[in-house]
Formats: sequence, structure tokens, C-alpha cells
Amino acid sequence: MSTTHVISSRRPVGESGGRIVRYTLSERVHHWLGALFYIYCLITGLAFWSPYMYWLAAIVGGGPTARFWHPWFGLAFTVSMVWMYKMWDRDMRITEPDRRWSKAMEYYVKNEDEKLPPVGRFNYGQKLFFWLMLYGVILLVISGLGLWFVESIPWSLRWLRYIAVTVHVIAALATIGGFIIHVYMSTAMVRGGFAAMVRGEVSAIWAKTHHRLWYEQVTKDTRDSAQGR
Amino acid sequence: MSQSTLAIRRISAHAGAAPGENVERDELVCKLIDTTTCIGCKACEVACLEWNGYTFTETVFDNSYQTMPETTWNYWNLIKFNEHEREDGSITLLMRKDQCMHCADPGCLAACPADGAIVQYTNGIVDFQQQNCIGCGYCVSGCPFDIPKFNPTTKKMFKCTLCVDRVSEGLEPACIKSCPTGCLHFGTKDDMKDLAETRAKQLRENYGIEKAGVYDPAGVNGTGVIYVLHDITNPEAYGGLPKNPHVPWVVRIWKGPAKWIGNLAMLGGLLGVTLHYLRYGPKEIDAEKHEGEKP
Amino acid sequence: MTNGWIDIKNTDMMLIMGGNPAENHPCGFKWAIEAKRTRNAKMIVVDPRFTRTAATSDLFCQIRAGADIAFLGGVVRYAIENNRIAKDYLINYTNAAFIVKEGFQLPEDGLYSGFDAGTQTYDKSTWNYEEGGDKSGEAATAAPARGHTGGATAANANAASTGGSAASQGQQPGSGSGPGLTGQGYTGMGAGGAKAMEPTKSAPTLPGKVAYDLTLQHPRCVFQLLKQQYSRYTPEMVERITGVPKDQFLKAADTFTSVRKDGDMKKVGTIMYAVGWTQHSFGTQIIRTAAILQLMLGNIGRAGGGVNALRGHSNIQGATDMGGVFDIWPGYLKAPNPTDTDLATYLKRVTPTTSKPEHWDSFNYWSNTPKFTVSFLKALYGDAATKENDWAFNYMPKVDRNYSWTQIWDAMYRGNVKGMFAFGMNGVAIGPDSQKNIDALKKAEFLVVGEIYPDETSEFWKSPGVTPDEMKTINTTVYRLPCAGFAEKDGSMTNSARWLQWKNVAVPPPGDCRLDQDIVAQIFLKVRDLYQSEGGKFPDPILKLTWAYTNTLHPALGDLAKELNGKALADLTDPKTQITIKRGQQLPGFAWLKDDGTTSCGNWIYSGCWTEAGNQMIRRGTEDPAGQGIYQNWAWSWPANRRVLYNRASCDPSGKPWDPTRKQVWWNESAQLWQGNDIPDFKPDSNPKDHMGPFIMNPEGVGRIFGPLAAFADGPFPEHYEPIESPVQNPLHPNQSNNPVVKKFKTAADKYATPGDGFNIICTTYRMVEHYHYWTKNNPMNVQLVPEAFVEIPVELAQELGIKGNDKVKVTSARSFYIAKAFVTKRIRPMTIDGKKVYQIGIPIHQGYRGIQEDADRNARTIANRLSPTVTDPNAYTPEFKGFLVKLEKA
Repeated sequence: MSTTHVISSRRPVGESGGRIVRYTLSERVHHWLGALFYIYCLITGLAFWSPYMYWLAAIVGGGPTARFWHPWFGLAFTVSMVWMYKMWDRDMRITEPDRRWSKAMEYYVKNEDEKLPPVGRFNYGQKLFFWLMLYGVILLVISGLGLWFVESIPWSLRWLRYIAVTVHVIAALATIGGFIIHVYMSTAMVRGGFAAMVRGEVSAIWAKTHHRLWYEQVTKDTRDSAQGR
Repeated sequence: MSQSTLAIRRISAHAGAAPGENVERDELVCKLIDTTTCIGCKACEVACLEWNGYTFTETVFDNSYQTMPETTWNYWNLIKFNEHEREDGSITLLMRKDQCMHCADPGCLAACPADGAIVQYTNGIVDFQQQNCIGCGYCVSGCPFDIPKFNPTTKKMFKCTLCVDRVSEGLEPACIKSCPTGCLHFGTKDDMKDLAETRAKQLRENYGIEKAGVYDPAGVNGTGVIYVLHDITNPEAYGGLPKNPHVPWVVRIWKGPAKWIGNLAMLGGLLGVTLHYLRYGPKEIDAEKHEGEKP
Repeated sequence: MTNGWIDIKNTDMMLIMGGNPAENHPCGFKWAIEAKRTRNAKMIVVDPRFTRTAATSDLFCQIRAGADIAFLGGVVRYAIENNRIAKDYLINYTNAAFIVKEGFQLPEDGLYSGFDAGTQTYDKSTWNYEEGGDKSGEAATAAPARGHTGGATAANANAASTGGSAASQGQQPGSGSGPGLTGQGYTGMGAGGAKAMEPTKSAPTLPGKVAYDLTLQHPRCVFQLLKQQYSRYTPEMVERITGVPKDQFLKAADTFTSVRKDGDMKKVGTIMYAVGWTQHSFGTQIIRTAAILQLMLGNIGRAGGGVNALRGHSNIQGATDMGGVFDIWPGYLKAPNPTDTDLATYLKRVTPTTSKPEHWDSFNYWSNTPKFTVSFLKALYGDAATKENDWAFNYMPKVDRNYSWTQIWDAMYRGNVKGMFAFGMNGVAIGPDSQKNIDALKKAEFLVVGEIYPDETSEFWKSPGVTPDEMKTINTTVYRLPCAGFAEKDGSMTNSARWLQWKNVAVPPPGDCRLDQDIVAQIFLKVRDLYQSEGGKFPDPILKLTWAYTNTLHPALGDLAKELNGKALADLTDPKTQITIKRGQQLPGFAWLKDDGTTSCGNWIYSGCWTEAGNQMIRRGTEDPAGQGIYQNWAWSWPANRRVLYNRASCDPSGKPWDPTRKQVWWNESAQLWQGNDIPDFKPDSNPKDHMGPFIMNPEGVGRIFGPLAAFADGPFPEHYEPIESPVQNPLHPNQSNNPVVKKFKTAADKYATPGDGFNIICTTYRMVEHYHYWTKNNPMNVQLVPEAFVEIPVELAQELGIKGNDKVKVTSARSFYIAKAFVTKRIRPMTIDGKKVYQIGIPIHQGYRGIQEDADRNARTIANRLSPTVTDPNAYTPEFKGFLVKLEKA
């Protein structure tokens, strides 16, 4: 089959067997920037988290360097999350099909996808992950600022210091949980997902299988435009 | 501060045992500050600066004799002044030398994430090792006395070392050396405790100061700096000395159970996805498998 | 100090008043703490502010600045009323039993007998003992009555009494010396006294045989007069004058006098004071009151007792010992005046004769004055001082008037002093009335300043208020000589405890800086050269001065110390012990001094500091076998290395220590000698049976509760007078509110305020532990501790005036103003004085217009002493820096 690699627009390439643009360049760039920032924060954060992972700091230049860049990367991650929010806000809203899908999520886990109701561009799990990361980063950045400028919190308000620690830890652990699942699913579990985020394209059948409503939407749009509607 | 020759009892964020742990026994050292004989002369402030090589900090008068509001990264020893109104309405001037308390159970060390940035020697001195410090400021949250301070230039934390460099050579700390009235004493914890209790008893029995007592808070398993106070029931009046200091429970949980729960959770997550993969494998799309055959 | 710093650890009771040792003498204050820690000693602090000393005290009374005599007089009354008296001590060791001349009157209307309102001086002829014998049981013919007799002007009364009283240790940093040691003969010359001395024909003298009543019942005996004098100082009156509530005062009086409860002699109390007492227009008399109290309680001469002047500078004691005051020579010898036409006349005038009850004995140590004087002249003029020329007595200047500190500035202000050498002091900042001093310097032709920093004096034209145009009109030539700091010089410093401690050079002076003695020596040698080449009216005093130093351009301080110690000019033999000293050898002590020109000694009280055994001042022995902190082998203490003065009084009349646990000296019956842990301050072989008085520097041999004749300008007993600027009229005698012999200065700069002019806040000045006078504002370490000028203001006053902490405020006196930040504090409380609500504020004196902060424009640049008035104590000429009137407003 012949595919075109022009991926700057959502261009359907046939009903089946063709390739569909799933992520634009901009989306991919932002995803990977976000990923880079997050992973940096993850590695350095884990180094600070436990003596048994302090060696992780060494791979990013040592403890002081890690400590120096961690909050800056955190800020960068926050910015990239804000950007992703602007990009994906609409796509990530929980819809009625999502709710139906969520009730049948068990089948998704068991790889019995045929029993699942169709979903749009992102499934319920992906959306949850997105919102988890978004709210997570808000908590992380606020508590992180508290940890960063801990001396600026007056002694009389020291409970704020303790809240900052608590929130940062819980939020970080939550995002880590999401992150593990996200990485697992996008690389090992859902074949093609990783490639989609690299190259931007999925096969029509992939789209049809995993995101039928989206697939239908995309192909319909294409037909409509082709027919000059 | 210094690469001292003292044996180490505890090391911050250290995976494994400290070399001095249960190996070497040492007398605990202790600084006794008798606030009832402190005259607020600030000789200790200057001695601290001079011994540790710090010079001039610009200060501003702030309706007090106090040099500055709090200790800073390069001003480790500060006398806190408080014009205190006694119960009978009379006025007194409470003066307390504020510095690191060298807790037996140091919150800073517990909170510290950097391997070896904070150590506790077998003689009880809690010391920051700036070459290992990453400047994260966790110690600030860990300290129940608000002592560790951040140097924005070097991005390292600093505090009183109890003159570990002097003590390890058999000298008393610089502040003790400079005290003109003998309000500061230095010796073993046992001796200082005895001296303090004797003094408090003298104050109660011979001077009618009924609430005189010794401040050696149990919440941090006692401190390497102890005070004789006129009123042990109100340490807060002495420039905010906490009544019952302890390592914040948040820090305790954070560095204790939370760490293991978190680690287990993360491990569990990894294990979970692995098991999932083994059990269910990847999501394969049948159509895709045949895709190549169709055209 | 009659005692010494370390000796304070032996005390049971401390009264700290007119001083703030925790802040201004922190190192010495350790011994006060030691007494508390080891002896459960009590500490009473009486001060206008709750100081850092008060923070360690057991009892604090806030007193109005300048009301100290009323407080102490009240304690004297309390002790008498409650029989808290050391009776044996009082009878045998003081003049309590002496009978005072008929005609002497107590100042119930504010004036003693003999006042001449025209000259503001006293005819002191009635201030004398009655001649006679035992008068016990005799009825009095004339009890002292109210009122005063008119009398002839008595300037230049015969100074029959010198030194020796318990209060005789000098106390005033910067000026003046010990009361009782200075001022005799000049008592009419308080302020504005720039007039020639009037020669006196027949000055009254003390009687050789004094009438006495050992039962203390005679109505004219000193004790009865004392009782009568202070009967007016009731607790109610004390409260009216001092502002100390009656119950607080009674508690303090009870606590302090409790050492003599039931007449028990074991316990000892001490009194410590500093310039908070001396800096008043009646400062000497405050110290006198303390001395009287201590004599009554039997606390003088005893370990842990005494009246202890805490000296503010490291060597101010040395400065007064060395005659750094206009009316004394080294060793507190009186300077001659124009009536002393020859040595014999002078010696007759200044050498006291014994005055005592007939059957008592008196050592009268000042009877050795001729020996000290001739040896001093020999030290100055060497071979040029011969018997024929009266030992060069006429080379010495005669003091024709008052040349004290304020007089010098006043004379310069009037254009009479053309130039000044200012070494080791900052005259402009010291004040009083700094603006007057600045204006005086503007009129001077030259000013030479030897300093280690540029200071307010050497840059007087930089004072705020001097415009660039005005600067152009100032023609004073200023020479600034960079000097060496204390660590760059060797030599000795004499501390409050009278120890001469030798120090070595730590670092050489930097750059072009020179040692003070080098500068002075080189100027002297140049002047001598000029006299040599050009002659002059009277060149001999300059040309014949000995200058026998190894390096004449750089005299070593060791050479000078040896000269002060004195040496034999001929072979000398002690007739008793047959010990011989060879010609040229250093003398072992002042007992060897002769009036026949065979000894030379630059300062008799320092004789013994550098003997044939070498430099005694450099000794650092830490042996203290008695455990009393005597440390005989540490440095060297004048006189004769004894540590507690008048220590004979530590024993009862039979020679046994009052407190066997604190044995200082005692009579050894078998050896027939006085022995001790300390060196006995007494005639070593005087058997107690002879009843020689322990106060050997007084011609009476006893302590003076009554200060007879010319001892004091303003009365034989202290009387409370109001400061020159006071918010109230004296409640004791409103018609004689101030000290009657104190004269105000009369130049245009000298203005004095009254509450009527709106000046109704009492202002007092003080020093802080963080700074040393005016020069640590050049040292970053001190500057960061207290960076800015401030005024301590009571919370209530601040509220009334709408002032908040750190606000900029302006303090205005009749003279000038002072700008600083407000320190609103609870440590000064409003007071009620004679029914009137009165506020006090306090200003640390340390800031000025030269220093780290000042140069960076972070300070207001006004000097605290712009506010203080030019008016002085009539005995020691110390200015009244404490307790003057101001206004306060937001700036």
C-alpha cells in the first residue's frame, strides 16, 4: 500500500488499510517535551525520595545539579501541561460513550475489546490519565513552590511547609502510578500506540478498533470535504 | 562543616549502616545556656562570626536590641530579646542565645535526601556536610527549631556546627570561649545536665524562682544544647522556644511509612503491568495482522 | 574601686546603681554572677531603665535620673531606724562619735551654715570638729538648727583632708578624679570660675584633739547629725523624689541592709556604680552617700564589700592616677596654686596633720606628702632639682583657676584658647553640648588630633548644619596624626581594681601611624630645641627636664614605667632591717621615698611596679591560696600590691576578722605583726591596743561620715538637689532646688531649660555593650550588632505622641536637637514625681557623623551630646550628662 507521510493535516487515506494521522507534529512535540520534563522530574524526584534511588541523581549530573534543575523542569512540565490542556481540552472531556466504556473497562483489561462500546479519539483511561496529570501538576507546582522557597514560609505558618511536603509526595506518587500504566499501555500493551506518538499515524484498522467513533468521525469528515459538502 | 576525625553515628539518606553506629561509643557533648545569667552582650555572636570566618552583614534597627530577626546562613548564633511582662505586671528582659540545638533525634537529618549531607557524630554533634548538600531545603521542614538556612549563592544549607572543628581538637566552641559571665558552659551531656539541674534547684530554693527548670526537650530525645529557664512552663517567651518540639509528624511519615508505602506502590504498579502483560499480552488487531495479505 | 573586680565574688549583697556593669563592664560582671552562683548573693539594681544588668537582678527599682541621693539617704534612714548598723565598726572606724563644732547647721532649707549667696560658696569654718576630749553624757548646748549663717567668702580653704575616704577612688571617665582627692582649694570655682584664686590668710584646720562621744548620744556628734539629716528622707519622701513606689523602696532598703540584721557582722554587701552617679551636678555627693551607708553597715575594707567605681575605659583609672586632671599631680598630690610661693608653703598647705580623739592613734599616711613631692620633682628635674632651688618646685606651673574639661571648651568658645591637642579622645562627641564644642573649634587657630580613625573632632566642620559657605569661613588648621591602636602598643593599663597590667605589642602600627609617646616626645624635643636656640621668658622648666630615655625620640614605655616606680639616687639603708639599696637601683616601694633628694619617683602610688626584680605588672601568677580571688602574683596592684583597700577594717578592733571564713588580714599577737592573705593596708606593727584607725589616708584615721572643712564644696553630708534641669522643684526645699554652689555657664551657647518652656521629658544618656564610645562605629562587627541611632521611649509616651517603633523622632533640648529611630519599650515606665506624671527617655551616645553607617548615609548623623548641658559637679567637675530636660516629637 502506498501511504503519504505528509502529516500536517488530518488527511484520511482510504477506508481501510490506509493510514490516519492521529497526532499532529505539534501534539507530538508537546507530548515528548512533556514526557522529557516529567521523566527528568521523575528521576530526580525519585533520587530525593529514597536513599536507595539516590544513585539516580548521578545519572543526571549529581545531587546538587539534580536539585537545581528539578524545580525548573517541574515548571517546564507545568507549562507543557498547560499547553496540552489547551490542545486537548476538548478531546479530553468525558462524554457519554466514555461512561459506557468505563462500565465495560474490565473487557479492555482482559483484551476482550470486542465487547467494548466504541469510543472517540481518546478512551476513558487516556482521559483519566490526562486529567490526573493536569491536576497532579497543579498540585505539584503549588506544593513544589512551597518546597522550593521553604524559607519564605514564615515559622508561624510552618504547617504550610508540612502540607507542601504531603501534597507533593501524594501528587507525585499518583502521577507515577498513572505514568507506569501510561507507559506500559502505550508501549507494550497497545501495539501501534507508541509508533503513533512517534510518527503521528495509525492504521485505519487500528483507529477503527481502538477509537471507532473517532475513526468514523475522521473518515466522515474526509468524505464530506472530498464531496465538497 | 569540616571533614572531621570524629566517628559518625548517623548519616542522612544513607543506604546502609553508618560506620560509627554501634561500633564506637563516645561521651555526648553538650552546651549549657543559663538564660538567668545571660546579659545579652552578643560576644557569642561575634565569636561565632569570627571563628567561622563570616564578616559583615548589613542590619537594620528593628525596635529591639536583637541584631536581626532570625539566624541566617552566615549568622548562626543570635541572641533573641523579649521584653516580657511577668504575671505581677513587672517587666523583665528575657535573652536567649538561639542556635542549632543538636537534637539527639535530628529532624533535619531525618528529612535530608542527600546521602551524607547531614551527619551525627558519636558525640552527638549534628553537622551539615556542604560538599554533599544538594540545597533542597528539606531540613528546613524537618527542623523543629527553624535553624537550617540556605545560602543562595552556593545553594547549600548552613547552621551552627557546635564548632565541631574545635571540639574534635579538644577545644570548647567559640561562643563558650567568648562568654564573659559564664552563662555558657560546655561539657558532657551528663555533666551539663547535672549543672543545669543544680542551678535550677538553686534558683527555685534560694531565689524563689519557683518555675525555674531545665529545657532538654524529650520530643527530640533531648538536645545537645540545653537551657536553664526562669520559667520552664513558658519557653515560648524566650524568643519562641517551642514548648514541646518534635520532628514534624509529616516528616516522620514522609521519611518512614510513606516511603515504604510509596515504594511498594510503585513496585506494585510495575509488577502489576508486568503480570498483566504476561497474563493478557498485547492488544493485537486481527485486521492488522492480515493487512499485508489483503492488497 | 576600694576592692576589685574578682573580689565581688565574695559578696553576699550587691547594690548596683548609677551603673550598668552587664552592658558596660561585661567581663568584670562575671564576678557578680559568680557571687550569685556560688554564694546565693542577692542583686539589687536601681536605674532609670530596666537594663541588661537588671535582667539578671533579684530586685529592680526604676528611679528618676538624678534622684540617687534621696534613695540612698532613705536607705541610711532605714538602717538607722531599724538598727541595721555595724555598731563597733561605726564607733571605732568612723567619725560617727566625733563632735561637730557649734554653729554647724544642717540644710533643712537647702543650705548648710556659711553660705554666701553672692559668690555661691560656703564659708566652711563651722564644718569642723570641736576640739576637746570625751563628751559622753554632756548635754548639748546647741543642737543644729534650720537656717544658715552668713559668712565670709571661703575660696581656697585649707585642704586639711586629702583622699582616703572610702569614696576616694576616681570614677569619671573623661574627666575628673576621685572626690576627696581633687577640688580642694578650688571649691568656689565650679562653673564659670575663670578668675584668679584669692589668697587665703588663715584657713581653718582640723583640731589635733577632737571632742567625741563614744555613746553616740551627744546631739552634735556626727551620728546624731546624720540621723537628723536623713530623718527627712522618709519612704514617702523617697517616693515623691525618686518615683520608686514606697513598698518597692522599702523592699530594696530591707534587702540591702539585711546583711547587718541583728548586728551580725559576718555578711558583706557591696555597692557598684559608674558614671550614672558621677555625671550629675551633685555626683560626688551621691558617692559620698554610698560611702556613708557602707561605713554605717561596716562594709568597707572587707572582702565582698566596698564602694566600687566601675571605670568605663580600659585605662581611665591610670589617667587619673597619673594626674590627668588639672588640679592634681601624679599620685593624687595636689597641684600648687599661686599662693604656694615656695615649697615649704606648699607642703605646709597640702600636708595634713593628725586630727583624732586623744587616746586613739592615726597613721595619717599623707603626712608623707613631702617625701612623695620631692621624689616626684627629682624624677622630673633630676640633678637640676636641688635643695637650694626647692627641688625645682618653681619650675612647676601653679594652677590659678579651674582648667577642667568644660572650662577648656568654654575658654575656646570665648576665644581665649587658641589651639588644642586632642589625643585618645573625641572632644566634640564627648560634649557636653557638642554644638558649643564644634563652635569653639571653629574659632580655634589650630587643632591637632591623634587618632586611629577620622572622627567627629578631627572633622568637626562636617557636623550636620554646617553649610558649605560656612565651611569656607572656618580658618582652623587641623593636623591629623595617625596614631597606634591599643593592640599596637605595649605598656600598662590600670583597671578599675587598680591593677597595672602590662601588655605586649600584638601587631605593629600600620603605615605611617606612630605611637602616641613618640609623637609627644618628638614635639617636646622640637620645642626644647626652640628654647635652646631662641631662649624665652622662662626656659628652665623645659630645658632642664630630664629626658633620660634609651631612645630619646622613641621613649620606651618600660623606661617610663621604671621612672614612675622610682630609684635610689644615693645608697639607702633601712635603719630597722639594715637592708641596703644601692644608688641607681629601682626602689622596692614607696616606703623608701625620702624628702632629702636621695630618691626619685614619678608617681608614688605606682612605686613597686618595676623593681629590681623586674616588671611586676607583667606577672601572670594564678596562685590564690586563700580562694578569695586575691591573686597576689597576677599583675601588680597599687598601692603596694594590695588588693582590698583599708583591709584593717575587715577585723574587729582587737584584730580578729569579722568573718573567719573570709580572712583577709589579722593581727598576729605572737609576731606582733599584721599578717594576711592580702597585704595589710596598715602600719604593720601597730598593736590593736593602740587603736590606730584603719582609714590611714585620713588624718582622723577613721572613715568620714561627716566630711569636714574643704573636703567637699557642697556640704559635709550629701543633700538631695535637683538636676539643673528638672521637671519638679526640690520637694525637700523648693526654694533651694539645685545644688547651691553649682554655677551655670554664661556664654550664648549655654541655655538651660525649665518645664515651663515645654521641656518636660527627662533624658538620660548611656552606653551599650555593643559599642565602645564613638569609635566602634568604624568596626563592621560592632556596627552590625547595633547599626543605627535610637531613642528608648516608654510605650505610654509613644502612644501619647503617636510614635511607633522604628519611626524617626526628634529630641530637642534647650541647646540643640537629636534625630534617631524610636525604640518603643516597656523597659522604661512612666513615673510619678512629686505627684506629677513624668516620662524618661534614654539615648545611647555612640553615634555621630563619622563611621561606616554615617559615611553610607544610613544614620541621622547627630551627636547625642548636642543635647546635654554644660554644667558640672562642683567637686570633680564632671558634666551633668544624665537627667536633663527635652521635648520629643516625630521627625
